[in-house]
Amino acid sequence: MTRRALLLVALLAAAAPGSRGQPAPATVSAPATVAAPAVVNSLGIKMLLVPAGSFEMGSLPGAPLRQEEEYPHRVTLTKVFRIAPTEVTQRQWLALMPQNPSAQAGDDLPVTSVSWKDAQEFCLRLSQKEGATYRLPSEAEWEYACRAGETEPASASGLDAVAWYAENAGGAAHAVGSKKPNAWGLHDTLGNVAEWTLDAYGPYPRAPDTTDPTGPATGSTRVVRGGSWRGFAPAVRCAARTGTPESYQLAHVGLRVVQEIR
Amino acid sequence: MQKKSEATHQAVPETGAATSRRAFLATAAAVGAPLLVSPRTAFGSAANSRLTLGAIGNGGRGTWIAELFQKHGGYQITAAADYFQERVEAFGSKFEVPAARRYTGLSGYRKLLESGVDAVVIESPPYFHPRQAADAVEAGKHVYLAKPIAVDVPGCHTVEESARKATEKKRAFLVDFQTRTDPFYREAVKRAQYGDIGRIVSGEATYFCGPTWGDQAKWLTEKPGDPELRLRAWGLDRALSGDVITEQNIHALDVASWVLDAAPLHAVGTGGQRARTAGTCWDTFSVIYTFPRDVVVTFSSKQLGDGWDDICCRIYGTEGTLDSHYFGEVSIRGKLPYRGGKIPNLYTDGAAANIATFHESITGGDWTNPTVAQSVRSNLTTILGRSAAWRGAPVSWDEMLRANEALEADLSGLRS
Repeated sequence: MTRRALLLVALLAAAAPGSRGQPAPATVSAPATVAAPAVVNSLGIKMLLVPAGSFEMGSLPGAPLRQEEEYPHRVTLTKVFRIAPTEVTQRQWLALMPQNPSAQAGDDLPVTSVSWKDAQEFCLRLSQKEGATYRLPSEAEWEYACRAGETEPASASGLDAVAWYAENAGGAAHAVGSKKPNAWGLHDTLGNVAEWTLDAYGPYPRAPDTTDPTGPATGSTRVVRGGSWRGFAPAVRCAARTGTPESYQLAHVGLRVVQEIR
Repeated sequence: MQKKSEATHQAVPETGAATSRRAFLATAAAVGAPLLVSPRTAFGSAANSRLTLGAIGNGGRGTWIAELFQKHGGYQITAAADYFQERVEAFGSKFEVPAARRYTGLSGYRKLLESGVDAVVIESPPYFHPRQAADAVEAGKHVYLAKPIAVDVPGCHTVEESARKATEKKRAFLVDFQTRTDPFYREAVKRAQYGDIGRIVSGEATYFCGPTWGDQAKWLTEKPGDPELRLRAWGLDRALSGDVITEQNIHALDVASWVLDAAPLHAVGTGGQRARTAGTCWDTFSVIYTFPRDVVVTFSSKQLGDGWDDICCRIYGTEGTLDSHYFGEVSIRGKLPYRGGKIPNLYTDGAAANIATFHESITGGDWTNPTVAQSVRSNLTTILGRSAAWRGAPVSWDEMLRANEALEADLSGLRS
């Protein structure tokens, strides 16, 4: 399928929320499914197309397990992008990088113990290899993809099916993609390893609506999302966010890549 | 394993609950969030109007917290109820409560509920909390409830049900725990839940202080068997107070269950009345709790001797320790340290923050009442430890809930 055709499919999907016959949540205008086929890059990463759309970022007061910093606000993402369905594996990492820093070795395990700059370097090399722009997702892109058109994609009681976290992971990361994907086909957005995002960590802007937010202009603490094998339910939510200094190399933090579409 | 670490995280600048809630309401109004109604609908008058407040329980803490309500500026205290005439009169004079709205006796609070107040603050002995809160919700009042919410399992369930009804009736129901308002506690708990201290292995919760309720012990000693002095000395009565583990030590155990985000599975404990001779409450407890994931939390408390005036909860993980002190600092030591800090006076500032949140919930129409569920869990956690200690045998959470044991206070000889 050509790029134009892909975009058309995406736009049609974006224009028809709840097109599977179910009403879309009132505050989410993202599509319920990603209807376009994926593109497989040279590392074998099957990049999923994510259409433009709007969603409620953060959490409402009274939501289970919410933290005060999850200030609810509407975010509009105007650009279509692609996102990897899984976290970057150690095999994929070693295809481009000289060393595997992961504490727990395994080709299909997510790479971990990489700093934010290491992650940036991986994206740069992948971009050079593919002749395309790969990068870490912005915080908003990450949450948008995690929610996949739903307001609450996984309640605490349903986490077992979709996430490796402290209650079921046995103190270790697991092979990527071994839990059920979300509605857009992304695995392990919740749990397994937490994921670096592009954005510096700071409070959300106190505005009811933002468009294509990219976080604070400066800062060396980066947003890490999704929770991990070592996190409890409060950390394993689409709205949950934390900040980690970009030099840290942590056994529970890895990455997922996005590809820009121009 | 972590390869590097730095001295501290860079914390996100904290925003007060008040600011963000207000901002949220603006957002919610813009997007039509379904949980909320407009402030006018919620309160029936301008959002910045003063709420009329009835104070149930006009003793030491009741008077102290009424000052904070008054200082907030968004409340007008228009009614007061206490069993004891001289207390309600002193309270009424201090806060200019009309004489006709000062009520006494065990059921005086019911007249207060009929006096037209918007909200009540309940600072009576804990034994009375569930019934008073339930009646207040039934009467359509917003409820600000002191901890502990109840002294027994049925009482906890009553409060849980009252809060559910409050939400249904579009009423606010807030339980006043100070620690949960503290940005340092909140950040440290969040980091532990994210795994910053590694796999959590164990914890300790302690509440150490010297002799308390000195006057109450004196009253009981001077006139044993006097029903009104028994009520006045409620802090030493295990049914009226819930015993010290529930009535006071709950602060330390609340933090433990907050960090672990779980209720304990079972407990074993001991303790006794080893120093104090008056009343029926113990002055020392020692309990070992087992939480999910085989996390063991040891708990101990004392209300005797000198030294170690401290409410502490430490949670130990494979890579760090969360260390928290109600009157001191909150921090994380280990591979991912958090420097944290200390609020100068959490006892007062925490209550003031809750009073502000309560006001904003009412004027803003937020009926989600998020403080209740955790309060029920931590209250039941104290009751589990107390049951195990009193019984001198292991007690499981399920067993405690099934037993549904009620404490019965001796109210004979008291005026209704």
